[in-house]
Amino acid sequence: MTNRWKLAAGVAAMSLLAACGGSEDDGSDGGEQAQQETATGGELRAYLSEPDSLIPSAATDSESNQVLTEIYRGLTINGADGGAELAVAESIESDDNITWTVRLKEGYTFTNGEPVDADAFIRGWNFAAYGPNAQDGAGFFERIVGFEEVQADPPQTEELSGLTKVDDYTFTVELNAPFSGFREVVAYQVFAPMAEECLADTDACNEMPISNGPYQLESPWEHDVQVVLTRNEDYPGEDAGFADRIVFRIFESQDAAYAAFQGGELDVIDQVPAERRPEAQAQYPDGYFQTPNNSFTYLGIPDYDERFSDVRLRQAFSLAIDRQAIIDAALGGTQRPASGWVSPLFEGQRDVVCQYCDYDPEEAKRLFDEAGGWDGTLELMANAGAGHETWLQALGDQLKQNLGIDYTINVDQQFAEYLATLENQEAIGPYRLGWGPDYALMETYLTHLYGTDQSSNYFGYSNPEFDDLLKQGDSAATVDEAIGFYQQAEDVLAEDMVAIPLWWGTQTVLYNPDTVAELGFNPIDYEDYGQTVLKQQG
Amino acid sequence: MGRYVIRRLLQFIPTVFGALFLLHYLTSVAIQLTGNPVRALFGDRMPPESVLRNLTERLGLGDPCLEQPFSPCLALFTQRLESIFLHFDFGTNFSERPVTDIVAGAMPYTLRLTAIAISFELLVGISAGVLAGLRNGGFWDYWLKISTVLIISVPVVVLGVVVRDFVNLSFGNWLRGLEAVPDAISRGVFAPTWTPNYPLASLIIPGLVLGALQLAATARLTRSSLLENIRADYVRTAWAKGLGQGRVVGIHTLRNSLIPVITLIGTDIGALMGGAVVTEGIFNVPGIGRQVFAAIFTGETTVVIGIVTLLVLVYLIASLVVDLLYAVLDPRIRYD
Repeated sequence: MTNRWKLAAGVAAMSLLAACGGSEDDGSDGGEQAQQETATGGELRAYLSEPDSLIPSAATDSESNQVLTEIYRGLTINGADGGAELAVAESIESDDNITWTVRLKEGYTFTNGEPVDADAFIRGWNFAAYGPNAQDGAGFFERIVGFEEVQADPPQTEELSGLTKVDDYTFTVELNAPFSGFREVVAYQVFAPMAEECLADTDACNEMPISNGPYQLESPWEHDVQVVLTRNEDYPGEDAGFADRIVFRIFESQDAAYAAFQGGELDVIDQVPAERRPEAQAQYPDGYFQTPNNSFTYLGIPDYDERFSDVRLRQAFSLAIDRQAIIDAALGGTQRPASGWVSPLFEGQRDVVCQYCDYDPEEAKRLFDEAGGWDGTLELMANAGAGHETWLQALGDQLKQNLGIDYTINVDQQFAEYLATLENQEAIGPYRLGWGPDYALMETYLTHLYGTDQSSNYFGYSNPEFDDLLKQGDSAATVDEAIGFYQQAEDVLAEDMVAIPLWWGTQTVLYNPDTVAELGFNPIDYEDYGQTVLKQQG
Repeated sequence: MGRYVIRRLLQFIPTVFGALFLLHYLTSVAIQLTGNPVRALFGDRMPPESVLRNLTERLGLGDPCLEQPFSPCLALFTQRLESIFLHFDFGTNFSERPVTDIVAGAMPYTLRLTAIAISFELLVGISAGVLAGLRNGGFWDYWLKISTVLIISVPVVVLGVVVRDFVNLSFGNWLRGLEAVPDAISRGVFAPTWTPNYPLASLIIPGLVLGALQLAATARLTRSSLLENIRADYVRTAWAKGLGQGRVVGIHTLRNSLIPVITLIGTDIGALMGGAVVTEGIFNVPGIGRQVFAAIFTGETTVVIGIVTLLVLVYLIASLVVDLLYAVLDPRIRYD
């Protein structure tokens, strides 16, 4: 029960206990236990937009994830305080962070009766990683030995050579390089197990998943209409769901969803249109919940361009930006200023890492002059069609006002084209980009973005000290120890300023306080509807 | 008549081919100029190259001509025609859901929505037009003129949102608070948005909103057409023969006045199906408009091609039906 954030007052829990008689005996030995017994039942109606897929390895979008976290259980799950907790795995251990031995709990079954054993995981992972299956989530398996071979064109083999079955409930995973975050990574849904019947007909399994989680689909997925889940009564895990049914109603527009919420058709929505937020907060003070989320927006500096090589120039840029003013004026107050490179919801995050992220125009001007100033016009880039023009303009105005730079903004390229420009290192000025985490370890914000020659390192940034600290973290014996190294690596970023942190997004959840007693939440998946407690009617 | 229909049907073929090629070319140029839409699926994260290649290939966008600006991609076009006409395979969207499934799933909602809108136009629009036409210069006439100007001048985006927020939400919430009102009314007809619990009842108000715009045009057209005909010689003859008002107005005048109205409504069917984008968005109806709108944004060319081709067919068939209806309404028109 530690994996929930208590949002409602304790009063709600007490009244639940009082309302449901017959549990007086349990009342004394731990309120939580008793609450779990009495708080089940009811139907939760939640907002969703059309998910990509209900095959875990094909779904890397947040909408699919909301459904999949309820219907599938992998080796671990994301805990409420960051970090991973064991789920189907009994233990996940390694001496060298390279070869991991996974021991599974017995007793888990798929909804068709097949056992969730070592084969089920190996089957699922091989399916996900095999090139010709073209699964969106295949990239997550790149740390496992044999990934190159199954992805080659044509593939050299069908199975990941790094997966070895030891016995029915034990298997080992061999990684390419030491990595301390293995437990955290496998909490992601692409690492879910797969039933044999599902593999035989994945199209059918997408419409009516054969799953192993606390919930199952009641009827096949009604595309664009709804996904209806019922509690899986055979689920042996401790994190069984509370509501009897979860109805995900599918909406195309947030605005229509908000209307449906106001009309009592939905109990929870997690996408409140930005312009409606003040109104929603006023109207539903007890059901409005807002927190910074993991969505990171930064201004990237082309490190490959010599004109930007003086770090004092980048520091000056950062100091000259009044983040809060931009958020209030151009973003409707929907973001939170960033002063670090790791999500505020993550284990190991520190409130202030970036000493150049506070607005200080005088210091900015001083550093700017020291660095020799800037010749010519600065081009600021963002992708088209996503409303970035306004704030980018505001940011440019601040640079102009505080540093005296002439700037132009370039928001002509659609996203795909824009990414191609960045990948080919053709950006000639600072550019906007974002990042979201893949798993509940702060390393997910570091390696891929800033590691030398890493896939999303569009800066062309390379710092041996940074790479070395990451490597030490990856080989650390415990996660806590690893976090120490990762924090040092983040400190290196704070000096080099290759990515100027701008802000974090916010997760806004609106729920009906008359029907929802307590909202389940964790920092990676956000709302967890299976762990959401409803008020019992009558 | 039979030969005429066959000739018209044969004319469909070049039209559909032309439309298909235009769609193919426009969507291809969009990809050539703005980059591989599959890459955008992965967002800020660069997937391993092999993953991107495999997925692009799988989704039928692996043809190298899609990287050469303004290339007509003829090989890809023949390949598409082949799978469409030989295998009835329109491809899949980015989630690998067949386009034929998407259309089959979304079509019934749009058809019902269109049917409600058209019936509304026909029943209310024509009656109001007749009423106003018969009382030219009277109260009903002015009322019609003023009210239709009001409706025409409000764009459907505004009308839809206003109706949703005031009728479905404010009034609906009040209804939902009353115990005496059955759920089918308070949570069905007046549901805040379309709901799967009352799939038909909750389509009524969106249908009325969709029909409202053309309703005004229908009413005004009926009125002016009726006014023109009511002064015609044959109508005067009918009155002089001593026929009753029902027969003079209903059979002799109205039937002749309906020809332009039918043309309007015929072209309307196509416009309504395509134009339901906005209404479907406001009321969250899972129809065709919503699908095509989303597909344009994500660059799912197969979905755009599939749905727009279907809309082209609907237009063609509707215009054929309209032409045939002329003969029914006006015996002087014959198709030989």
